[in-house]
Amino acid sequence: MEFAGFDRPRPSGGTLTATALKILIAGGFGVGKTTMVGTISEIRPLHTEELLSDRGVGVDDLSGVETKVATTVALDFGRITIREDLWLYLFGTPGQDRFWFMWDELALGALGAVVLADTRRLQDCFPAVDYFEQLKLPFVVAVNCFDGARRHDPAKVRRAVGLDESTPVVMCDARNRASVKDVLTTLVTHAVSRR
Amino acid sequence: MERDGTVTDEDPGPLVRLYGLTGGRARPPGESFDLVAIVTTIRTPFELPGLNPEHHAMLSICRRPTPVADVAAQLGLPLNITRVLLGDLRREGLVNIDPPQPANQTIDERTYRDVLHGIRRL
Ligand SMILES: Nc1nc2c(ncn2[C@@H]2O[C@H](COP(=O)(O)OP(=O)(O)OP(=O)(O)O)[C@@H](O)[C@H]2O)c(=O)[nH]1
Ligand SMILES: [Mg+2]
Repeated sequence: MEFAGFDRPRPSGGTLTATALKILIAGGFGVGKTTMVGTISEIRPLHTEELLSDRGVGVDDLSGVETKVATTVALDFGRITIREDLWLYLFGTPGQDRFWFMWDELALGALGAVVLADTRRLQDCFPAVDYFEQLKLPFVVAVNCFDGARRHDPAKVRRAVGLDESTPVVMCDARNRASVKDVLTTLVTHAVSRR
Repeated sequence: MERDGTVTDEDPGPLVRLYGLTGGRARPPGESFDLVAIVTTIRTPFELPGLNPEHHAMLSICRRPTPVADVAAQLGLPLNITRVLLGDLRREGLVNIDPPQPANQTIDERTYRDVLHGIRRL
């Protein structure tokens, strides 16, 4: 060990444990993912353009095919601090199917997911629902009430999406803080009850 | 260089410039690690050739154990670029990167209540 510039010992014996929990925000194109992360994050949400393949190396993860074209994907993420040593990170997942592998990474070890749905085009949320069901990752379906009306019947949505009885369906407005808090507490409660 | 946390728009310029930081690498050296892996600085060298100002900033941030995603947020850097630079620091033995526990194993009764309370309090 060097004495020059020595900072702090490695946390050992579990006395100093920092924990970061991941929640995914998924759903179809334009359904309100970015909005939801922005509504609840305590930091200005990062909207980053991520480069996925090395320039010049030439192997694209997605296809295994030689390519010199840089692939980028937009990701949103936000943070909620729970305790000094415990954070909740929200990741808005990329909408396009070709980024499934990115979902795999984000979903690994995650607490759960919110699938945003728009009743005018409910089918857009099916890929996300299928994905999380297959992964056995706890999720809730949040119906984003774009027209502001509360006339959507959760039972109808449940039937249309083919959800089992235990998966919560909640109405929400992604622009509204209280509403997003509701969605997240529902998810956390569901995730804990599923263990 | 713009450091406002937004690296979007049609102009590929900022991204290309940022990738200058990593020498064009999109993946960190060594074993891959999660976006919420916890990074802890082990030591801060007075001088080490090859470290850029971003590396130094990361060493300073991670004196307090910090998730990868948060290092990115604090520096306004894309996640993958942050990860490459943190990978460099790990290779030099300057930081530890601890894989996160899966949430379903981490969450005990107290954590669960804290998380609920934390969300409601917002
Ligand atoms: N009325 C209403 N509009 C909303 C709501 N949520 C989002 N919007 C609007 O819908 C549009 C799309 O929202 P985004 O948050 O960008 O959706 P997204 O899922 O991130 O979209 P992509 O990343 O392009 O797939 C924006 O103009 C939002 O202001 C909502 O709950 N109600
Ligand atoms: Mg978006």
